[in-house]
Amino acid sequence: MRLASAELVDSREILPGQWLQAYHAPDLAVGSRAGQFVHVRTGDFSGLVLRRPFSLNTTDPATGIVTLHFRVVGRGTEWFTRLRPGDAIDLLGPLGRPFEVDPRSQHLLLIAGGLGIAGVRMLADEAIRAGRQVTLLFGAASARDVYPSSLLPDEVEYVVATDDGSLGHHGFVTELVTGYEAWADQAFACGPTPMLAALAQLVAGRRDRLGVAKLGRKRGGGKTVAAGSPAARRKSFLQVSMEQNMGCAVGACLGCVVMTTSGTPQRVCREGPVFAYDEIAWEGGW
Amino acid sequence: MKPKRRAMTSTARPVAGKRASVPREPRRSEGARSPALATTRPRPAVGPRASEAPAVVEIAPSQVDLRVDLGRGLILPNPIMVASGTFGYGIEYGDVVDVDRLGGICCKGTTLKPRIGNPPPRVTETPGGMLNSIGLQNPGVDAVIEKYARTWATWRTPVIVNVAGESVHEYVEVARRLDGVPGVAGIELNISCPNVGAGGLQFAIDAGAAGEVTAAVRRATDLPLLVKLSPNVADIRPIARAIADAGADALTAINTLSGIALSPRRDRPLLGNIYGGLSGPALKPVALRIVYEAVQAVNIPVVAIGGVTELNDVLDFLAVGAVAVQVGTAIFADPTVPIRLADELAATCARQGMLAYRELIATALPAAKGRPSSKGVEYRP
Ligand SMILES: Cc1cc2nc3c(=O)[nH]c(=O)nc-3n(C[C@H](O)[C@H](O)[C@H](O)COP(=O)(O)O)c2cc1C
Ligand code: FES
Repeated sequence: MRLASAELVDSREILPGQWLQAYHAPDLAVGSRAGQFVHVRTGDFSGLVLRRPFSLNTTDPATGIVTLHFRVVGRGTEWFTRLRPGDAIDLLGPLGRPFEVDPRSQHLLLIAGGLGIAGVRMLADEAIRAGRQVTLLFGAASARDVYPSSLLPDEVEYVVATDDGSLGHHGFVTELVTGYEAWADQAFACGPTPMLAALAQLVAGRRDRLGVAKLGRKRGGGKTVAAGSPAARRKSFLQVSMEQNMGCAVGACLGCVVMTTSGTPQRVCREGPVFAYDEIAWEGGW
Repeated sequence: MKPKRRAMTSTARPVAGKRASVPREPRRSEGARSPALATTRPRPAVGPRASEAPAVVEIAPSQVDLRVDLGRGLILPNPIMVASGTFGYGIEYGDVVDVDRLGGICCKGTTLKPRIGNPPPRVTETPGGMLNSIGLQNPGVDAVIEKYARTWATWRTPVIVNVAGESVHEYVEVARRLDGVPGVAGIELNISCPNVGAGGLQFAIDAGAAGEVTAAVRRATDLPLLVKLSPNVADIRPIARAIADAGADALTAINTLSGIALSPRRDRPLLGNIYGGLSGPALKPVALRIVYEAVQAVNIPVVAIGGVTELNDVLDFLAVGAVAVQVGTAIFADPTVPIRLADELAATCARQGMLAYRELIATALPAAKGRPSSKGVEYRP
């Protein structure tokens, strides 16, 4: 984690109200991993006191370019859209714990709801570089909100669901998952909390549907690993990237917690944003 | 009116057996004053006043004395502290902040038993500030000591443990466990907590309860004792007096101001706890008023908190009599703010020919009113 200045290289509105910006930030482009995020300071100081957390959408160590993908939801995000190439912003990162892919996993299922694509996008690059196969299930309200396939690596199998049926599967993206659960060795999801909760429920029933023999890989029975540790997450079939309002983004303010099944709140910015699906108390628990 | 020079002896406490001789300024006769000067606030007569006479020697920022004495041996290397709840236990910002350059660290509110805090969302941005409702999530005093005290003991910067509780007994028990722990330099009582024994009324809003909890903690520990005022009261002065009379070494002011925010669809309050505490620049005028009032009500040092973001904020709080400030919310936007403020304060003093920042204290107080405590102002190496 460090404070870094980053220069805007490219900025465009890729979907209505959604922007993709490329920054030159060599320090971040090297050494960041999929699932991590940055906390970005707005230059609009007229009353905005907090930074904005953004997933690292992609990083390219060769060029030093990192991209951020965000939706304009208020004055802070609006400010970013008015930046011009050459303008500098202040980034704190990389922050949080990354996705943990089991070395034996060959087939990765990525599941994204809307802007949640920004949370798993970088994992597609990492996986393909490592020679894995990637299927991306993407859900949006309608065709006009669907992430352009041109922004994905060619190797990714891209499957779309829309709520209104205007493109791809008519319905929720979660309805597509059962079709891939036998193929997938591991799944990684980012999106609205109800979507993640539905996925967690699906995965909890997966063992019954598929039977132990058809699990993607054998579970090592012997060694127990501490819940929440990278090793435990690496063994989880489904990892989810959670979202929460943030203050500090470094673990100092306890503003960003989610309740876990162990009964202790965990910080999305520090223990997360990636969690194993069974770490999260989906019903709350306070 | 007849502004008097600060009386240096009443609360003087020689530190390490040394007292510097204070160069006396020639007294101007009352009649010689220009109208503008006549309204000038009294200023502490400490150190050479090159600002009034042409500086003979250039002063480097590193020569400016920034030390603060908060009483009972609690000496801050500089008057810029970090506020409770915004800087965790001092370790979270890692290499981004050099903790040894801070004036002091107030750690997250600590209770006797672990607390899981309030349901999320817990923070949200508001105009010029933010609301938080963390709900005092913390692992309990024993775990805090075990996990962090050893690290704190290696730091030059004093760490002050912010203590919360729901009964006098709880505060006392936490204080007792902190007493004598290496690495714990002092206690800051967060009395903006519901007093379960008194039907949930906050200690902070009642002079009797505030005095009682302060006195009880005072008896339980020899640690320097700071008590943090809440702005959610009609009149701070009797409360500040009760706390000072009960033996607190210093006051800190202020905690957050109660507020709410709404969900984007306006169908419910946004925060999981409904209520949150307002902090950030929006809070500053309220903090300035309360510090102004508290300073004149007591004769122990007052540390100001509320929206400190830039040097002007520091100078304002010093001008109303605070001896130090705490930076909270501003850290979230820029964690380097506290260290930069300390540097800028030294630079500004040097530019004005001041050898000590304390010349900046209390310049905006009414002349006729009581002087702010000089305990913290007085310390000379
Ligand atoms: C996220 C957050 C958590 C806080 N937690 C505590 C706490 O545990 N104990 C306490 O006395 N004050 C707490 N405060 C209040 C701050 O210490 C400070 O009094 C207040 O934020 C005003 O200062 P500021 O405007 O510089 O932030 C908290 C403030 C924030 C923003
Ligand atoms: S945002 Fe402060 S602890 Fe996570």
